[in-house]
Amino acid sequence: MAAAAISLKGASKTFGSDRNRVDALVDIDLDVGQAEFLAVVGASGCGKSTLLRLVAGLLAPTRGEVLIGGRRIDGPDPGIGIVFQTPVLLPWRTVRRNVELQLDIRGISTPSARQHVDELLNLVGLSGFGDRKPYELSGGMQQRVSICRALIHDPSLLLMDEPFGALDALTREQMNLELQRIWMETRKTVLFITHSITEAVMLGDRVVVITPRPGRIMEIVPVRLPRPRDFSALRVPEFHIACDRVRELMNAAGFTE
Amino acid sequence: MQRLSGLAYPLAAVVGAVVLWYAIVIVFHVPKYILPLPGAVYQRIVEDWTFLMYHSGITLYETLGGFALSVILGIPIAIALVASRTLDRALMPWLILSQTFPKVALAPLIVVWFGLGLMPKLLITFLVAFFPIVISTVVGLRSAEREMLELAESMRATRLQMFWHFRIPLALPNIFAGLKVSVAFAVVGAVIAEWVGASAGLGYLLMRANANLDTTLLFAVLAALMVIGVVLYYAVEILERVSIPWHAVIRLADTATTA
Ligand SMILES: Nc1ncnc2c1ncn2[C@@H]1O[C@H](COP(=O)(O)OP(=O)(O)O)[C@@H](O)[C@H]1O
Ligand SMILES: [Mg+2]
Repeated sequence: MAAAAISLKGASKTFGSDRNRVDALVDIDLDVGQAEFLAVVGASGCGKSTLLRLVAGLLAPTRGEVLIGGRRIDGPDPGIGIVFQTPVLLPWRTVRRNVELQLDIRGISTPSARQHVDELLNLVGLSGFGDRKPYELSGGMQQRVSICRALIHDPSLLLMDEPFGALDALTREQMNLELQRIWMETRKTVLFITHSITEAVMLGDRVVVITPRPGRIMEIVPVRLPRPRDFSALRVPEFHIACDRVRELMNAAGFTE
Repeated sequence: MQRLSGLAYPLAAVVGAVVLWYAIVIVFHVPKYILPLPGAVYQRIVEDWTFLMYHSGITLYETLGGFALSVILGIPIAIALVASRTLDRALMPWLILSQTFPKVALAPLIVVWFGLGLMPKLLITFLVAFFPIVISTVVGLRSAEREMLELAESMRATRLQMFWHFRIPLALPNIFAGLKVSVAFAVVGAVIAEWVGASAGLGYLLMRANANLDTTLLFAVLAALMVIGVVLYYAVEILERVSIPWHAVIRLADTATTA
């Protein structure tokens, strides 16, 4: 059996000590398959970002271990790309140069790699915007740039922490469809964090529900819907069954939307 | 058009001040050695133009030298403080303490140690001007948001790359704010340095004019100092606009959306 793309074994993360102690995550066991789209939902403060940071190697687990492609990590794995809720673009670089930042920092900025930037910008619908500055773009477009930046070095893992949380509803739905298309074209393993149930079910092969204080995996809900999914396909009962199940679990955990 | 009306207010204020100045001198019969008429100051500036320019040049030179020293040492000191927690903990308290100390009081000592040449003047100017650069650079280097630094880390950036590609450019708006304060302080530093021991420069002229009760010359020197201060300040501001145009644009966009 091939090694899981991401694997957490009894991973826990505690912040602070004594009276200020916060058990952000406790005993997380989770395997994410190759090319799987795994969505994670939970109330705010339940440890979703902490989970992503553990997988990204930005935080070390207090107990347990995190493996990527079967190898235990102690720092960011070379094969990851991250998208945060804010685009975090460098304002002095153009769109193209922002995407190339990933290549510059990793020291892999070859002419062919740079050519790939235009293909990626094309893929996210930003062709012709390469020479613009980030502040000339809308929030949704800026987030697309940050997605390109997370993909340009061809990582095997795409880690996304509420990437569309700051966008308006319409842009968000559009971005959901685009992300699904990009994922189907590039076949990355995606860890997608959100607090929107609809978004999680719409995109995920499975939806992990996390309970707050301490953060634990409550249940993993599989979503058996054909791809590509679009908003009309979501009228099918399976979609609502999955949504209801996730909502039920979150309500049981004391979550009110 | 907007720029013009922006200029109209300060100009009106100057005209008002000069009129008030004339009024006070004439109405209260203020003697010339206390407050000369603006016209007399102007005449003096015209008459002693080359003389004033010569001394201004010397003060400007010292100011720029001390300011350059402040930049060349201040920014690396700030980077070192942010890069090393040990250095920060060891030096920061002393740096802050050194600022509560009146640096003017050090000037005579520096003259005793280094004599009357250019060196002690640069040193005194540096002492007065470097601190704002250090503090604002430290603040700027620490201002990077968590996600930005995590992004860099996820790209496996080295410490050098972290500073070069992220922290330093992100700190530039703060650094420039510090430079503007510092350049104004540098003029003060140069004048103080000349008070303690010099045979030329605007500070020296101030002392001499004071001793001779030559109030008209005093005012002429003050005018020269003011011009130097304003010109240097705007030079830094122009440099800021050229080197970080993105900052002005973002500031504009922010005010546009909040307005
Ligand atoms: N660096 C930190 N230091 C202390 N507490 C933290 C830190 N990061 C997160 N926490 C705490 O851990 C819990 C989970 O946070 P987080 O993972 O950001 O939640 P989420 O992303 O689900 O909103 C919260 O209670 C938060 O206050
Ligand atoms: Mg979060």
